[in-house]
Amino acid sequence: MATAAAAMFNRGGGSKDNTMRGLVSFIADLRNARARELEEKRINKELANIRQKFKQGGLSGYDKKKYVCKLLYIYILGWNVDFGHLEAVNLISATKYSEKQIGYLAVTLFLHEEHELLHLVVNSIRKDLADHNELNNCLALHAIANVGSKEMGEAICGDVHRLLISPTSKPFVKKKAALTLLRLYRKVPTIIQPEWNERMIAIMDDPDMGVALSVTSLVMTLAQDDPDQYKGAYVKAAQRLRKVIIDHEYSGDYVYYKVPCPWLQVKLLRLLQYFAPSEDTHIRQLIRDSLQVILDNAMEMPKNVQQNNAQNAVLFEAINLIIHLDTERDLMVQISSKLGKFIGSRETNVRYLGLEAMTHLAVRAETLDPIKKHQDIIIGSLRDRDITVRRQGLDLLYSMCDSTNSQKIVHELLKYLQTADYAIREEMVLKIAILTEKYATDVKWYVDISMRLIAMAGDHVSDEVWQRIIQIVTNNDELQVYAAQNILQYCKADHCHETLVKIGSYILGEFGHLIADNSGCSPIEQFMALQAKFNSCSPNTRAMILSAFVKFINLFPEIKPQLLEAFRTYSHSLDSELQQRACEYLTLATMQTDDLLRTICDEMPPFPERASALLSRLDKKQGSVGDKRTWSVTGKEGLPSLDRSATLKRNFSAGQTAIMNGVTNGSSGANGTNGTKGTNSTNSTNGMVKSPIEELAGLDLLGGAPNLASASHLSPDWEPGYNRCLLAPEGVLYEDFQISVGLRSEYRQDVGCIILYFKNKATVPIQSFTTTLDNTSPEHLKVDIKSLPETSVHSGAQTQQMIMFEAKGPFAEPPTIRVSYMAGSLQALTLKLPVALHKYMEGAVLNSDDFFKRWKQIGGPPREAQKIFQGFDVSSSNTRRLLNGFKWGVLDGVDPNAKNFVGATVLHTTGGKFGCLLRLEPNTENKMYRLTIRATDEAVPPVLMKFMQERLTQPWPS
Amino acid sequence: MCNFLEYKDTKVVYRRYASLFFIAATDPTDNELITLEIVHRYVEQMDKYYGNVCELDIIFNFQKAYFILDELLLAGEMQESSKKNVLRVIGAQDGLEEMEGTEDVEDRLRKTGII
Repeated sequence: MATAAAAMFNRGGGSKDNTMRGLVSFIADLRNARARELEEKRINKELANIRQKFKQGGLSGYDKKKYVCKLLYIYILGWNVDFGHLEAVNLISATKYSEKQIGYLAVTLFLHEEHELLHLVVNSIRKDLADHNELNNCLALHAIANVGSKEMGEAICGDVHRLLISPTSKPFVKKKAALTLLRLYRKVPTIIQPEWNERMIAIMDDPDMGVALSVTSLVMTLAQDDPDQYKGAYVKAAQRLRKVIIDHEYSGDYVYYKVPCPWLQVKLLRLLQYFAPSEDTHIRQLIRDSLQVILDNAMEMPKNVQQNNAQNAVLFEAINLIIHLDTERDLMVQISSKLGKFIGSRETNVRYLGLEAMTHLAVRAETLDPIKKHQDIIIGSLRDRDITVRRQGLDLLYSMCDSTNSQKIVHELLKYLQTADYAIREEMVLKIAILTEKYATDVKWYVDISMRLIAMAGDHVSDEVWQRIIQIVTNNDELQVYAAQNILQYCKADHCHETLVKIGSYILGEFGHLIADNSGCSPIEQFMALQAKFNSCSPNTRAMILSAFVKFINLFPEIKPQLLEAFRTYSHSLDSELQQRACEYLTLATMQTDDLLRTICDEMPPFPERASALLSRLDKKQGSVGDKRTWSVTGKEGLPSLDRSATLKRNFSAGQTAIMNGVTNGSSGANGTNGTKGTNSTNSTNGMVKSPIEELAGLDLLGGAPNLASASHLSPDWEPGYNRCLLAPEGVLYEDFQISVGLRSEYRQDVGCIILYFKNKATVPIQSFTTTLDNTSPEHLKVDIKSLPETSVHSGAQTQQMIMFEAKGPFAEPPTIRVSYMAGSLQALTLKLPVALHKYMEGAVLNSDDFFKRWKQIGGPPREAQKIFQGFDVSSSNTRRLLNGFKWGVLDGVDPNAKNFVGATVLHTTGGKFGCLLRLEPNTENKMYRLTIRATDEAVPPVLMKFMQERLTQPWPS
Repeated sequence: MCNFLEYKDTKVVYRRYASLFFIAATDPTDNELITLEIVHRYVEQMDKYYGNVCELDIIFNFQKAYFILDELLLAGEMQESSKKNVLRVIGAQDGLEEMEGTEDVEDRLRKTGII
C-alpha cells in the first residue's frame, strides 16, 4: 500500500524529482496505520526522532525542510506539536527558495498572530519584502496576510504599501500587496494613511483584472468604514462594471464558464451598495444599464452548474443593489417577478437565496405587495426539506408580516412550531410573540395566541416572552378579565407547562377577583388550581405561587383558612427562600389589622415604559455583523419591528382604525397597529444610523483625509487660466508639460453647460484618469455630470467631460475639480472652475428713466453694496471690457457724467430672476473706482462686488 | 441539499467532490454562490496542476495544496481567478525548486566523492 501510494504521488505533475522521500514514506506509513493507537505510535516514534535530530544540530537545509514538513503533516492531522517552531522560523531566512517556502508555510500554520515567536520573523519578512526576487516578496506577503498582527502591521505596512503602488511592481505582487494591506487594515485600522486614498482608488482602473479585483476588495472595505473619503471609488466601480458587462473589456482568461470575471462583478456591485445612491443622472444611467444587462442575461438558465452559479452570484448581488438603490421602478418590478420564480425553484440553493433576497426586499421596500403575492409559497418553505431554507423562510415571514396578514402568518408559525427544529424554536417563539403583540387588534386574539404559544413552545420560551405578556396584561385593563379566565383554564388542566403556571400565579393574584363570580372561577377553584401544580414546579415558580396566595388572602377572605394552612405547610420547606416567604406571608396574614397586608397587596401599578425586551433579545440573537450594508431583520429604521420604545399600553378597542393604520403604515413601513405612539424610531442596530455620540467619536478634528478636490488644495498654477475663463466663455483653463485642460461653456437662463477638454501632452499614455468635483454650495448650485472622461488617454489624445451646473439661487463660491491620473506615478491637480454667479447674468437695456426709477426702488443697504478702491487700469476701454466680461448691459447716456458707467443685468436662477443695477465711477487722477451695486435680493450685491473688485484691481488676464 | 448552512455568526459554504468535502466559512453577508465557485476554481486549479487530482495528490503533496491556495485566496478574498496566471506563478516556484534540487544532489555527490 505504501509503495502504491508513493507511486500514486509520483504520478503527479510539477517537480517530481524534488520529492522528500522520507516525508513520502512517513505519510504512507501513517496511512497504513489502521488503528489510532498505531498511528499514535508511529507519530511518537517520528517526533522522538526529529527531536533528536534537531538537538544534535548540524542538519542540512534539505533535512531541516524535510523534518519541518513531517511536523507540519503531524500537526494538520490534529496532533499536538510543541517543538520545532524555532527551526521553522530559522528556515525562513534560508537562501534556498524551497526551504524558505516551507519555513513560511510552517510559520503560518504553527504560529498564530499573538505568538511570541512571531516578532522574530519581522526582520526576515521585511528583508524579503525588499528582495529583488518577486517570489520572495510574495512569500513574505502571504505570511503577513495569514498571520499579520498589530505589531507586525505597524512595522511593515509602509513596505507593503510601497509594493502596491511602485510602478515597478509586477501585477502578481501588487494584488497580493493590496490584500495584505486589507488584512493589516482589519487588524489596525489606523495604518492606512489618509493620503493613500486617491492612489489606491486609481488602481481600481488597473488593466490587470487580478489587480483590479484585489484593490477593489481593499477599497470596498475601506469605503465601508468611511464612504466620504472613498467616494471616488463609486464612479470608478460604476465605470468598471459597465466596461466589463457592456463593453466586454476583459481578457479571455477571466471568463469563468462564459461569465466574465464574476468575482470582480460581485465586488463592484457590492461596493456600490456601501454608498448612498448617486444623485448624478449620468452615473445612475451607467449603473442602470449594467443592471439591466445582468437581468437580461439571467433570462437564460444555463445547464452547466458552474455557469449557473456564477451567473446567479452576479444576479443576486445585482438584486441587492437594485433594492439598495430603491428608485429604479422598472428594475424593481423585474426582480420581484424573478424572486417569485426563485423561491419555487427546484434548486435548493436558489430557493434559499431567493428567500434571502426577498427578506432584504421586505425590510427595505416601500410596499410588501409584491412579496405578499407569494405568501403561500413562502409559508410552504417552512416545510422545505432543507433546514437552511426553513430558517430563511421564517425570517422572511417575520419581515413580511403586517396587519393584513399577521393572523394568517402567526397561525402558520404556531402550526410549524410544533414540528420545528429544536435549534430554532426559541427564536421562533420570540418572533411569534413580537408579531402577536405588534399586530394584536382584539383582546381575545392576543390572549389566545400568547397562551397557546406558551403552552406549545414549553421549554423554548425565554423569560422575556412570558414576562412581556404579564406586562401587557397589567397595563391594559381590557385584557385582564379574559386573560385571567383563560389562564385559569390552562392551570386547571392536568398537563400545564410550568411557564403557564408562572403567568397564572401572577395574573390570578392580580386579577383573580375580576372573575371570581364566574362559574368555575370561584376563589377556591383558583386556589386549588395553583395549589395542585405546586409540587411539580421549580422553586422559582413555587415562590410565585406563594405570592399569589398572599394576594388571595387580601382578595378572598373566604378562603383564608386554606391559604393559611398552605403557608403553614410551606413554612417547613427545606428551600430557605420558600420557607422565608411562607413564614413572612403567614405573619403578614395573621397580624391584628390587615392594614399592612392591604398596602403590600395593593394592585400593582402599571409597568413603566421601556424598550421591548423581546426586541433586544432578538437583536442579541442576531448579533451585529461588521458589514455596513447589512440590514437586519429587526433593524429597519425602526421597522418592521415594533416601535423600539414600544409602549406597553396598547389600543385594542381601535381595531378598525388600527387595521387601516396598518395598511398605510405597513406600506410606508411605520409601526403597524400601534396607535398610541407614532414616533418612527430611527434606532438601528447595525450602525446605519449613528447616535450623536458615535457621530462625535467619528469626527476627527485633527486627522482624517483632506478633501483634495476642495478649494484649499488648489494647485499652484490654477489662477491665470481661471481668471481668463471667468471673463470669457471659452479658453485654456490649465496647462503644463503633461496635460492641458481646455474649457468651453454656454449658459442659458439658470443652466450652464461646461465641457472640459483634457489633452495628454506627454509622450506616454496616462492611466486611471479621474476627475472629482467639489461643490461647496450644493443648496444653491446643482451639479450634474453628463459624461465622464476616458480612464486612459494616449499620448497626444484628448478626452472630454460635460458637466451641467444649475444655479438654484445666488451662490458665492465656484466649484473646484480634482484631476488625477497615473503617468508612472500619480499626478494630480486641483483647479477652480470659472462657474461664478455672473455667468448666469444677461445684460439688460434700460432707458434713463427706467434705470433711475428702479435704482430708487431697490434703495440702499442691505440691497446695495458700495466700495471705493484702487483700480489697475481705470481707462474707459478697459473698464468697458471688464463690464462686458461680467455680463453687464452697459447703458450709455444714462449717467449725467459721461465718464461714469451704469449697467443693468438680470440674474437667472431656478429660484427666480433678480434685477441688478450698477454704477461705476472711475477717478482717473487717483486711479480709483467707486463701485455701487444694487440688486433685488440682498444676497447678490456682496458676491458680485467681491468678484468685480478682484478683477478691477488686477490687469486684464492674458 | 443546500450548499449553505448558517452556523452561529458565520455562514458555512461547502461542496462535495466524491469523498472530499471542501468547506469555507464566510461572513453572513458574503455572496454564497461566488464562494461556492471559489471552491470549484480551487479544485480545478489543483486538477490542472496535479493532472486529474485525487485525494492522494493532496495528501502526499499537502504543501503544494497550500501554495496553490495562497495564489487563489489571500486575506480571505479572491485574489486571482485566471488559471493561467496561477499556474505561471506555481510553475516559477517549481522551477526554482527544481534548480535547487539539482544543486542539492550535486552537493551530496560531491561530498561522497562521486564527482
